[in-house]
Amino acid sequence: MEHDFEPKIVAFVCTWCTYAGADLAGTSRMQYPSNVRVLKFPCTGRIDPVFILRAFQKGTDGVLVSGCHPGDCHYMAGNFHARRRFAAFRQLLEFIGVDLNRLQFSWVSAAEGGKWVEVVTELTERVRAMGPMVEFKELEMEEHWSGKLDSPELKEAYQNI
Amino acid sequence: MQQNHTQLADDSYFAAVTNAIRTETTKLLSEGTVAAVIGYQAGTRAGTVIPTIITDAAKAGDLVFSPGCVNNLALYLTKAKKEVRPAGKVAIIAKGCDMRALAGLLGESQLKREELHIIGVACVGVKGAGAGSGEALTTGTIARKCRECTVRAPEGADVVVGAVPPLPEFSPVEAEELARLEAMTPAERWAFWKGHFSRCIRCMACRQVCPFCYCEQCLCDRNRPQALETTPRPAGNMAWHIVRAMHLAGRCAGCTECERACPMDIPLNLLNRKMARELKTLYDFEAGLVPVEKGPLTEYREEDDQSFIK
Repeated sequence: MEHDFEPKIVAFVCTWCTYAGADLAGTSRMQYPSNVRVLKFPCTGRIDPVFILRAFQKGTDGVLVSGCHPGDCHYMAGNFHARRRFAAFRQLLEFIGVDLNRLQFSWVSAAEGGKWVEVVTELTERVRAMGPMVEFKELEMEEHWSGKLDSPELKEAYQNI
Repeated sequence: MQQNHTQLADDSYFAAVTNAIRTETTKLLSEGTVAAVIGYQAGTRAGTVIPTIITDAAKAGDLVFSPGCVNNLALYLTKAKKEVRPAGKVAIIAKGCDMRALAGLLGESQLKREELHIIGVACVGVKGAGAGSGEALTTGTIARKCRECTVRAPEGADVVVGAVPPLPEFSPVEAEELARLEAMTPAERWAFWKGHFSRCIRCMACRQVCPFCYCEQCLCDRNRPQALETTPRPAGNMAWHIVRAMHLAGRCAGCTECERACPMDIPLNLLNRKMARELKTLYDFEAGLVPVEKGPLTEYREEDDQSFIK
């Protein structure tokens, strides 16, 4: 199916659960949107909020963070720490003015290939409906002095050189 | 403008606090209880103060306390200021808000309580941004943080000096500003913060003055790999301020030194307060009341809220 807009989705996943879950989806020949770019991490506890910011700055339209269900962490408590960190981080992003519909968190285990497909499809379609994420991209293009270099004061100063 | 504002404490209050600090300092240093006292001394312009470290009992007379004593001296006890921190037991002059920072640093194992002698000041308040050095402390010149202060009488200090005179009720300027922001749409908030952050010159004063920014290598200084752009462009500024707020979430003691030190007048404490409130709501945690080993983002409970996770 042809769409006007193909969103870029970055998925930060833990290697033990969600990556294996996505792999299962693949080996089971399930179909899911190719908009998602998967980045593999040892654990959701390794996923720094900076990564999410950087993804937005570099032009992603939606971010998915996914890892093991609580209690299943390969490192005992990584996902518990991540859960608190991201609960706080999404409140901060909302306060800054980012639409939280572009940010999805999920628990997808190694056996949940179907859930992976569901999560990715839902996020992709939701972000597609929202359109491109322009805020960070516009910010990336801006310089401190943009649009003000031709002020009358500067022109006069230039003439006087 | 001044005529509508009432003066908050007469000179006798500040004279009494100053005298008590000098007496305590003389006693501590001559008895050898502490190696040094970190306090305030008069600055070169009348009404201003500068932080100072006194090691000689004869110099105790240099110490002052005035409405200009805005600095949070807890900063000078951190790893970031290890070159100025004297060895051995140190006494520190701390207002209620500074005590919260000390509690936070104690909790993070940056300080040892037995190496610390806290001279708590029962504080009326200090002057805020825009108040001239010659102006008195009035309902108009008092700092925004002091309008909503809940720790005027410090608890947990080794000795408390001064007595707070009765104060009028203040309108909570900052809480109102926070409520105004929260009532905005996300797009309006984005425009608000974009406007403020775009002005940031990345002087890093907010980091240098923060008692909790004691990391030996700050994430924002690293360039291989680079997490945050270091040049003062709007994109990098936005990222820096988000990261700063995130790294202080659950740790910030609310001394508002970042906001005071900011040469561009960016309302940084709104971010800190927002995060403090969210962590209070989510995990019933309030930073810096008593030293705790683990903050809200370094511990967890199995039953933590995960309604936002699919």
